[in-house]
Amino acid sequence: MNWKPHTFALAGLAMISTPITAQAKIYVSIEQAQKILFPNQPLTKAPIVITDDLQDKLRAASSIRHPFQGERIWKTANGGWLIVDEVVGKHEMITYAVGISPNGSIAGIEILEYVESYGYEVAEAQWRKQFTGKTAKDPIKLNQDIQNIGGATLSCKHLTDGVKRVSVLYELALKEK
Amino acid sequence: MKARCQPLLGTFVEIAIEQENCQNAMDQAYEAIQQVQDLMSFHDSLSELNQINQNAHLHPIEIHPWTAQIFKMAQDIYQHSNGLFNCGIGHRLVEAGLLPRQLDLSQYPLGGIQDIHFLGSSVIYATKPVCLDLGGIAKGFAVDKAVEVLMQNGTLSGCVNAGGDLRVFGHTPRVIQIRHPKSPGKLIDIGTLQNGAIATSALYFANRDRKHSHIVNPLALDTNDIHVNFEESYSIVANECVYADALTKVLALSKRQDHPCFDYFNAQAITIAA
Repeated sequence: MNWKPHTFALAGLAMISTPITAQAKIYVSIEQAQKILFPNQPLTKAPIVITDDLQDKLRAASSIRHPFQGERIWKTANGGWLIVDEVVGKHEMITYAVGISPNGSIAGIEILEYVESYGYEVAEAQWRKQFTGKTAKDPIKLNQDIQNIGGATLSCKHLTDGVKRVSVLYELALKEK
Repeated sequence: MKARCQPLLGTFVEIAIEQENCQNAMDQAYEAIQQVQDLMSFHDSLSELNQINQNAHLHPIEIHPWTAQIFKMAQDIYQHSNGLFNCGIGHRLVEAGLLPRQLDLSQYPLGGIQDIHFLGSSVIYATKPVCLDLGGIAKGFAVDKAVEVLMQNGTLSGCVNAGGDLRVFGHTPRVIQIRHPKSPGKLIDIGTLQNGAIATSALYFANRDRKHSHIVNPLALDTNDIHVNFEESYSIVANECVYADALTKVLALSKRQDHPCFDYFNAQAITIAA
């Protein structure tokens, strides 16, 4: 171990000369997520129209309020599915991909982007609005370096709700296709 | 640099490595973390940990080598922290609504990690009923397992970060930032780390989400002293993430930068005042 602390850290002082604000992290593209979740399997785009009725059911099942967008859905030749969705919380926005195996089980979950909006000054709807509705062709251009951020554990509960919504979507709209 | 992130262990687990063409190594590292979760999750009623909590006081149980390994580490830390670190606090977190109720043990006096005994390398029994929760150590253990897998697969340099408990390996020293306890959206650049781990205990997210403190004092005699509240951020730098993770609880509870067990485990304490 080679640890070179700044002197203030050893003194236990929270001196911040230039505070760095926690930022967006971009991990993988949709294309990379497809290769991770369905290696060597070609995927075809299979968007669906989300009716009001289906939207209501998804909302009821997952307690996620913002509408599901049906255009980011792909399928494999043998009945697997890949769905890209977002969770937009008070404190974060997460774009993620869920792979569903032909038997309906979840094959994997991959985070595409994590945008932290922690802090009361940036949690405003106005700030968040700039990220909603972005597509893969329109990546958020923020710091693309992966910072090594330590700290208290972040909960992934919101994302769990999002995955629930995708599972319900599969049950209601994709399974029989 | 290639980076991926998956939701595991109740948090976001980020793996960043410097080489390209490393999907196989990354996949295996995530599988190792998934395996730690399957074995040691308190939330999953079928996990090995819950089988142990249910049955270890009734009859000896053969356990996975990784579970045996983490129990031995937890006992070592228990011993050298004079009981300040103890995984036998699951019932406290259940009572506070922080963990699901998997079984009703209210009628029994519960033991702790010190009541787990080994009959051979991976067979255990408990001399008292236990409600063990590995939430204070398993993330660090999983990070170490992922790093081991990456290195075994030829990865030379990288970082595994389980929601703030992280380990860096390889020749590149990395800048480490930690969240400011008062304003966790702001990061403090605390230094550079090479081949080492850092973990942090703080309550800013628990307070934000209006939850009970998950920092439990296993030695509390009074019910009011069970959940410990504080505003500081307590970090530990160590060679392995499992020790960094567990020892943050010793620091948060003892508030002693120089607790003797830090020396014993080659660890350094960092307290950031709010």
